[in-house]
Amino acid sequence: MSDYKEKVMIRKVLLIISLLVCLAWPALAVDGTKLLREIDRNLSPESYESYRKLINIEPDGKKKEFTLFTVKKGTDKVASLFLAPASEKGRSTLRLGDNMWLHIPNVGKPIRITSLQSVVGGVFNNADILQLDYAVEYDVLDVKEEGDEYLLRLKAKSKSVAYDQLKIRADKAKRLPTKIECLTEANMLIKTLYFKDVKDFGGGLVRPAVIETDSPLYKGYKSVMITAKIKKRAFKDEVFTLTFMPNLESLR
Amino acid sequence: MRRFGLLFLAILLCSIPSATRAEESYTLDLSEIEKKPYSFAGYVEARPALYGLDSSSAFYRLRYFDDPKRQILGEANGRVRLEGSYEKSLFRVFARLNTDLQYNDSAHASERTTFYEAYASAKPADFFKIDVGKKTLKWGKGYAWNPVAFADRPKDPDDPEQAMEGYIVATADIIRSFDGPLKTVSFSPVLFPVYDHINSNFGQNNTLNAAGRLYFLFYDTDIDVMFMTGGGRPDRYGFDFSRNLTTNFEIHGEYAWIRNNRKTVLNAAGAARTVEGEAHSFLFGLRYLTSFDLTAIVEFYSTSAGFHRDEMKNFYSLISRGFDAYTKTGDLAGLARSIQLAESGYARPNAMRNYLYARLSQKEPFDILYFTPSLTCMVNTDDFSANILPEILYTGITNLELRLRAGVLIGGRNTEFGEKQNTWRIELRAGYYF
Repeated sequence: MSDYKEKVMIRKVLLIISLLVCLAWPALAVDGTKLLREIDRNLSPESYESYRKLINIEPDGKKKEFTLFTVKKGTDKVASLFLAPASEKGRSTLRLGDNMWLHIPNVGKPIRITSLQSVVGGVFNNADILQLDYAVEYDVLDVKEEGDEYLLRLKAKSKSVAYDQLKIRADKAKRLPTKIECLTEANMLIKTLYFKDVKDFGGGLVRPAVIETDSPLYKGYKSVMITAKIKKRAFKDEVFTLTFMPNLESLR
Repeated sequence: MRRFGLLFLAILLCSIPSATRAEESYTLDLSEIEKKPYSFAGYVEARPALYGLDSSSAFYRLRYFDDPKRQILGEANGRVRLEGSYEKSLFRVFARLNTDLQYNDSAHASERTTFYEAYASAKPADFFKIDVGKKTLKWGKGYAWNPVAFADRPKDPDDPEQAMEGYIVATADIIRSFDGPLKTVSFSPVLFPVYDHINSNFGQNNTLNAAGRLYFLFYDTDIDVMFMTGGGRPDRYGFDFSRNLTTNFEIHGEYAWIRNNRKTVLNAAGAARTVEGEAHSFLFGLRYLTSFDLTAIVEFYSTSAGFHRDEMKNFYSLISRGFDAYTKTGDLAGLARSIQLAESGYARPNAMRNYLYARLSQKEPFDILYFTPSLTCMVNTDDFSANILPEILYTGITNLELRLRAGVLIGGRNTEFGEKQNTWRIELRAGYYF
């Protein structure tokens, strides 16, 4: 009889513990979506202007460099203007959600381009250059904690997103990415982004100044994106239109 | 043995690429991004070309009637393009000056310098801008043709990405953005004067023309509606669209309706008459990028303003009769009349009614960086003559662009490309930006 009572008691205790664990679980687990939004905001303000240099490095060390002025507003509007080299100067790109255009001053009217193409060649494609917030394009599948880092697994919200899956390694303390792997639906690695040289850009923005990328599809090649200046700035929606593209220089 | 081990370790350390030992540092010099109120840029180009002539073709006879046996024509072309701008407050002035130089062993040297663009702008707000001066407006979505580019000079379909000369206009851009399926609306009204020294080659003199373009970004589709009226040319109306169906597949189209379009046509006896009527032009095209970086652009263009096959045939016959008269009697009257008709429209690029254009370009094949081979083919689907243009482009040296291009014209007698003055050509273009 006493054995029976003991068993019942153990069951009750286990049940209570299980209920407590279930109730406490949401508080203990990391909220992936919230974490991803934090990472986005730590990388850049929602609306900003920035100056960047893109360097494509060939296996023999030969380099090709591009300087860009970029403006972004809200979740889906980005525009970039090429400042150098002379052959590209005046070209501009615009992204409105999934739509992307390239304006070449001589050719005239903006032409539609795709996210997987690259207006600069090298490993960075148009989606990397005209990047939106990760939380806008991806859902968080799960978050793991590995030492000082979080490992986030992301899945694209739609087929129009450049990479079907992302694996983000983020520094726990700084809530900044250290490495992002971009994968296809079939789990094939397309490229890896390495975030380096965390720097204070002012206005409370402390983020990596250098993003390096390599790809198994371009063995031996490397592309680097250096952010020189980035600051919060508000823009009118009209700036992010085809008609405004030839006038982006006036925002500098 | 230990010494051998240390030596091996030293060799191993030396063989590790420097990048893995020392972190390479990257910097962006802030002087590179400093904005100045003025800017200056330029482009120089050398383009030697060799043409294989067809001495029995209509256009050869029209141009080289006094030199009936020429086989090869060598040509040296040069171009200098300088541009500069100055900006103060909400005002900006911009000018682009173009000089074309040409030397060939037939016509010898020629030079033409002209402002492609020269205008002043005022931008009191991000949503409002006014431009006054010489400007290219570049309407339309087509790559090789733009039937809706009512206020621009026609493109050269052989080289559609070349800079073009503008017209003197007064224009404005008014932009509004919205949330929802209609994201952008912009309106660009244009005043287009045609007088003795202003745009005098556009059409009927002493007319002040009005044109306009209304643009929408609606359900992720670019849509433009445009018009031009005022008497300089017959009134015309049109629309275009462009849309990405998938991330690597874009479609576009244009339609233009011209009221009271006039063209001079010839009958079999060579008598000319002016035909007046409505003209409809349309273009449908696509741009597709494969997973292996091959870009395909395909366009079909049709215009009822173009010449029928019989009308072109009558024109070629007129040249032939004029040439025969010249060789027999030295009488130039027939050829002079043909030259006049050629200038009125028969010699313009793609003067007939239906064309198919296809361009395939492969980015960096066989891992050869900055190297893009392309193949362009334009077919006149009325007479099935064609112009085939293979080319290779190399952009590996910063600011330098090298393009080697050949052209092969295919077609029998009385066909558009078969009656051109040359049957083949080869050219090298070296362009440097600074």
